Amino acid sequence: MLHIAELTHVYANGVRALDNVNLDVPAGMFGLLGPNGAGKSTLMRSIATLQSPGSGTIRFGDIDVLKEPEKLRRTLGYLPQDFGVYPRVSARDMLDHMAILKGFSKASDRAEVVDGLLNQVNLWPVRNKAIAGFSGGMRQRFGIAQALIGNPRLIIVDEPTAGLDPEERNRFLNLLAEIGEGVVVILSTHIVEDVADLCPRMAILAGGRVVAQGAPRDLTQALRGRIWRKQITRAALEDYKQRFNVISTRLAGGATLINVLSDAAPEPDFTPVEGNLEDVYFSTLAATRAAA
Amino acid sequence: MFASVLGFEARYQLRNPVLWVSFGIFFLLTFGAVTVDQIQIGDTSNIKQNSPFAIVQTVFVMSIFALFAVAAFVANSVTRDDETGYGPILRATPLKKAPYLYGRFAGAYAAAAIGFLAVPAAILIGCAMPWLDPETLGPTNFGHYAYAYFVIALPTLFVFAAMLFALATATRSMMGAYLGLIAILVGWVVSGILLDQPGLEKTAAMIDPSGFAALAEQMEYWTAADRNTRLPELTGGFLLNRAVWFGFAIACLVLAYTFYRPDVKSAKAPKPEKVMAGKAGVASVNLPARTDRKASFTAATARRQLWARTVFDIKAVVKSPAFFILLVIGLFNASGALWFANEFRNTSIEPVTRLMVGALQGSFGIIPVVIAAYYAGDLVWRDRERRMHEIIDAAPVADWAFVLPKVLAIFLVLVSTALVGAIAGISVQALKGYTNFELGGYLLWWVIPMTISAAQLAVLSVFFQTISANKFMGWGLIIVYLISTLTLSNLGFEHNLYQFGGSPGVPLSAFNGMGHFWIARSWFDLYWGFFCIILVIAAYGLWRRGAETRLMPRLRRFPRRMAGATGAVLALSFAGFAGVGGWIFYNTNVLNIYQSSLAVERQLADMEKALAEFEGAPGPTITHVVLDADLRPKTRTATTKGSYVIENRTGAPLARMLVVWPRDVRVEAFDPGAAKLEQSWPEFKSELWAFEKPLQPGETRTINFTTVYGRPGFSNTAGQWRVIGNGTFIDNFELTPMLGVSQRFWLTDRARRRNYELDPERRMAKLEDGSANGKHYLRPDSEWVTSDITVHTDDDQIPIAPGYQVAEEKANGRITRRFETEAPIQHFFSIQSARYDLRTASVDTPLGPVKLEIYHHPEHTQNLERIETAMKASVRIFSERFSPFQFRQMRILEFPGYATFAQAFANTVPFSEDIGWLQANRDPDKVDLVTFVTAHEIAHQWWAHQVIGADKQGATMLSESFAQYSAMLVMEDLMGPEQVRQFLKVELDAYLTARGGEVVEELPLIRVENQDYIHYNKGALVMYFLRNEVGEEAVNRALNRLLAEYAFKPAPYPSSSDFVSLLREEAGPQHQDLITDLFERITLYDAKMLQATRQRLPDGRWEVALTIEARKLYADGQGQETEADLNEPFEIGVFTRKPESQGFSRADVLAFERYDLKTGTQTVTLVLPDGPEPLFAGIDPYVKRIDRNSDDNLIVVKSADDT
Repeated sequence: MLHIAELTHVYANGVRALDNVNLDVPAGMFGLLGPNGAGKSTLMRSIATLQSPGSGTIRFGDIDVLKEPEKLRRTLGYLPQDFGVYPRVSARDMLDHMAILKGFSKASDRAEVVDGLLNQVNLWPVRNKAIAGFSGGMRQRFGIAQALIGNPRLIIVDEPTAGLDPEERNRFLNLLAEIGEGVVVILSTHIVEDVADLCPRMAILAGGRVVAQGAPRDLTQALRGRIWRKQITRAALEDYKQRFNVISTRLAGGATLINVLSDAAPEPDFTPVEGNLEDVYFSTLAATRAAA
Repeated sequence: MFASVLGFEARYQLRNPVLWVSFGIFFLLTFGAVTVDQIQIGDTSNIKQNSPFAIVQTVFVMSIFALFAVAAFVANSVTRDDETGYGPILRATPLKKAPYLYGRFAGAYAAAAIGFLAVPAAILIGCAMPWLDPETLGPTNFGHYAYAYFVIALPTLFVFAAMLFALATATRSMMGAYLGLIAILVGWVVSGILLDQPGLEKTAAMIDPSGFAALAEQMEYWTAADRNTRLPELTGGFLLNRAVWFGFAIACLVLAYTFYRPDVKSAKAPKPEKVMAGKAGVASVNLPARTDRKASFTAATARRQLWARTVFDIKAVVKSPAFFILLVIGLFNASGALWFANEFRNTSIEPVTRLMVGALQGSFGIIPVVIAAYYAGDLVWRDRERRMHEIIDAAPVADWAFVLPKVLAIFLVLVSTALVGAIAGISVQALKGYTNFELGGYLLWWVIPMTISAAQLAVLSVFFQTISANKFMGWGLIIVYLISTLTLSNLGFEHNLYQFGGSPGVPLSAFNGMGHFWIARSWFDLYWGFFCIILVIAAYGLWRRGAETRLMPRLRRFPRRMAGATGAVLALSFAGFAGVGGWIFYNTNVLNIYQSSLAVERQLADMEKALAEFEGAPGPTITHVVLDADLRPKTRTATTKGSYVIENRTGAPLARMLVVWPRDVRVEAFDPGAAKLEQSWPEFKSELWAFEKPLQPGETRTINFTTVYGRPGFSNTAGQWRVIGNGTFIDNFELTPMLGVSQRFWLTDRARRRNYELDPERRMAKLEDGSANGKHYLRPDSEWVTSDITVHTDDDQIPIAPGYQVAEEKANGRITRRFETEAPIQHFFSIQSARYDLRTASVDTPLGPVKLEIYHHPEHTQNLERIETAMKASVRIFSERFSPFQFRQMRILEFPGYATFAQAFANTVPFSEDIGWLQANRDPDKVDLVTFVTAHEIAHQWWAHQVIGADKQGATMLSESFAQYSAMLVMEDLMGPEQVRQFLKVELDAYLTARGGEVVEELPLIRVENQDYIHYNKGALVMYFLRNEVGEEAVNRALNRLLAEYAFKPAPYPSSSDFVSLLREEAGPQHQDLITDLFERITLYDAKMLQATRQRLPDGRWEVALTIEARKLYADGQGQETEADLNEPFEIGVFTRKPESQGFSRADVLAFERYDLKTGTQTVTLVLPDGPEPLFAGIDPYVKRIDRNSDDNLIVVKSADDT
């Protein structure tokens, strides 16, 4: 449904934020993974009609997004990475206002829509409280509520779970999961589990380029038998990094665990592990870094 | 610790843009006040821009303005930690309360003090600007700046900052501090008003937290010389005031310490999260479910969105504390102006809506500018600052739904602000017991014009914000715009075609409402309306949506946004703008003359250079005048056909004649007889004609002319107000030529004269100059003339001119009346025409009855009785005591309040709507101005229309001072001496204050050079005291002799010294010194009652012992005083009630006697008969002398036992 072709954007200061990005996004949840500064937000903003990329095309269904932004906006729900609130405005008033902006001019329709959403995102009990006093999770739920007004067919959520505690994060992802069929939801994030838990399809963006895309399962499948783990001392880490393609390290119970990408066991005491999406992510990034 | 907190705080505040913006504004305001004539802070008109007085005054006023910024700093320094959430971190440090609080306060105060340096710096820099007239500058003395900064500004800022700090600490909110500030300021002003009464000065001086009342008390009667050189002393009341309030400030800081609670500000703490966690499923029965309603995008949606955005933005403005504060400041400022709008020369007039609107225009005008500028920045940038812009910008809303709501919201807020102003006006009217609110007037004169300028301001501000990189730059652009408007007019660029939103004023009057003046304004409004549409479309085309904020890319996409209907509207607006502009230009510059005031001034200077040689040159004398004035109220024109009979009274043949036409007429025909044009100065409308045969001594000829006054269309200014739809009042100076020039034509302001390279010292002829007695001061080409004036006007109006009506004819909707004189009068005629009601009366005089006529607006009837009574008494008293009245008829006519004066023509007195017709006179203690002005103008029938002074020093003493004297006789006759005392009190204060403003030279009364404060204020004081000392008979005998010798006689004309000689003869030898002191010197007294004690004698009588200090001073023209020997009788009185208090009567006077006093301290003992207890004692208790400090003349008598 969403086709992005040869999208390139260079900022005035010379930063190449998007570099020939090509993406095909079908209906359903689509995860866009990438480290900070990978160009995710520029891509999201470009899709959300807020930025005109230097070159390339974005099509959503039969809408040429760059030429007819106003058409896309009618079916767009956007939750930016970072948004604030007006002081002294309650959640319900703000949603009501947004509903007007999204084309609900009849008050009764709007009340129905707003109240439904407030309930859906669990903000019904605090609907008359000022958003400024909300916690981070509540604020994000408000954010998704406004993005869902009018049942958009394209929903863009940019890093929605950053800074949320696990419970809130869960609650938020559940909300996303409830979004109806036949809708494109682009979830941009640097948290691998978000994508792993939710998205049937995904892409990894690094340095402004799409470095991998596909179904998480296919990508994980490709790593089968190539991820090896070993517990080492911290002092030895540098040595291992020199010798092997260490894609990630983590601490477990005071010891250091390293994951190494290799077609065969690097050393006898490495144990093979089932690769997961995180390994896909790290190995892709590692490959990108190596190439750069 | 304290020092580091202080340092951190000061640095923090100094990085705060609010500080720089506010002090930037203060800098510009001060700079403007110094360098631009139109911006005034306080009264610096007659003193050097950098005189200590001006510096102190400016610095003081700005320090009060600065409080609104200071409130923000000090409040911010305590509330910041709660707001940012940084508080808990700070409170977890071992920082103690005292260094924390006081460090913060001191830091914020230090930042404010550093910022306030902008004000003295602005004066200093402003005074260095090359375009300032060096005449208006004194030597630079850094000590004066330092004094003003350290002694005036810093202590005031400290006192208020400490109060605000305590408030902010106690309330823990910025709003609390602001409300407190407003309360303090309101209290300050109200107490100032309440305490503005004699006897309460000391209290007022003490209670004023700014110290200004104490300063004002010290500087009240400073002369210009004082103001230019002296600094106020930090002594006496001022020092005491500063000390008391410094102590109070310290107390506030201590209070702040006790108020301060280091706990977390409550209320916010627990998030309501728990309430709802995980319960969604449980409660779902009652909860609304998600629906599948579809959005729709129609024209109605777009309108709904526009309105929703507008309402949303309005709420943002209205709910913000700053709006409330601005509104209160505006009301605070306006309420003062409204309250005093109906004060005129110390008396109150009816608070009619027209006056309220005038007050609002003057005092409330700046608030809309600030609101528009501030909220344009706030609203345009709000989405971005709140980081809501990505959500909003991605919504399916048309681009114009961003720009228009901002404009609309600001516009609607400004309209409501205007309504608030109107409500304030109505409230003041109601409070004053006036109920004819004229809501239509408020709407047409105030709300609608305000609304239009509000819309213009809103558009401009939003446009500026749209093209700016941030809101500070947008605000900066507004400030640059405001300054450029002032600068442009200062440089002589006054055309409303390029002054954004400019339009001519619309003066108001009961005669005409808005008259024809609204037409010009409407065209200009339309013109700027088109321009505003262009600006809105430009703002729409350049609006930031999404991530692109740079101007250039937005400019590049501008053409794309102009496609379709938008472009068409833009093109139409351009066409409208250009078309209406062309029409306006045709009206203002082709049909009318556009001349900036600077150009007018330059022309006058050039005229003086070209024609000064003709001053005093021999010329013909006009002896008979025939005028036929055809007034057309509907087209506002007057065509005047006239002729002069001229005579050679010079004793030598006259070869030529200078003809100077009024500036604003078109000369349609001129027939000077057998003469040819020798030289012409078309730019000055002046011509020199050479007679073919010289005019022989004694020979008479007739010259004929036709002029047209009034032009079609409209002009760039409000235009002429003299020949109008209803209420025409024009005099012959505007219609007919003058045959010669006089020095009185030229520029008088010394600084301006210097600018145009004219001799700044050129002044009136000296008193000793006998050659000046050949001409009187009204005009150089006429002595006494006979006149024959015909006036035509529309037949629903009444035409009036001096002389007796001899014919009236009505035909074709027109009325014609002819007026002739029976005896010679001054060549000075008024021509009036209006829809009048007439009241008639009659008064008997020794020469027979005099018919009295009062022509007035039909609604202005409340003072007719009073005017009539004053007319009767005036005619009767003057003809009995001075000389017979020369007319059989006396008229007073109202004219529209476009100007505020009354003027005496022969048997005719035009009297402005605002002076005599709306006086309220509810307070019997206040001077009855109606009676006074009526009597004064009728007195001019003697003093100017019987005797007129020679054109030299002292001339106006013979008309104005004598008219003052005569009016006092009438007031005393009708209302008793108490009224006259009230009147003189005002005159004394006015004289002492005004002489401080003199820059050229204060002259003794006998040499007055047309100085108002001398011939009116001092004239009244001198004449009344003279009468008190030498007796009315002697004064009147001298006046009688002056009349007998000079009335209606041609040259030589009398001078002030001729009168003084007569007076010396009549007053007797014992009063010669007094006459010298009163007329020939500037004499000031300082009498003071130091102590008064009473003691009851065994026989029941009272013994009152008085200690009196007295001295006499002579001042020179610059205000330098020298002690003079005092040896004069003074009046001493003992009373049971204060003489100026209400209900004071003769019965309250226990003793009133004259004692000879000498310089220095002396005691007087009075023995009073058994009776009421003596309570007050006074030296010169009715203040008949010119006493430099009349407040210490009266004191309370103490019992001898108490002392």
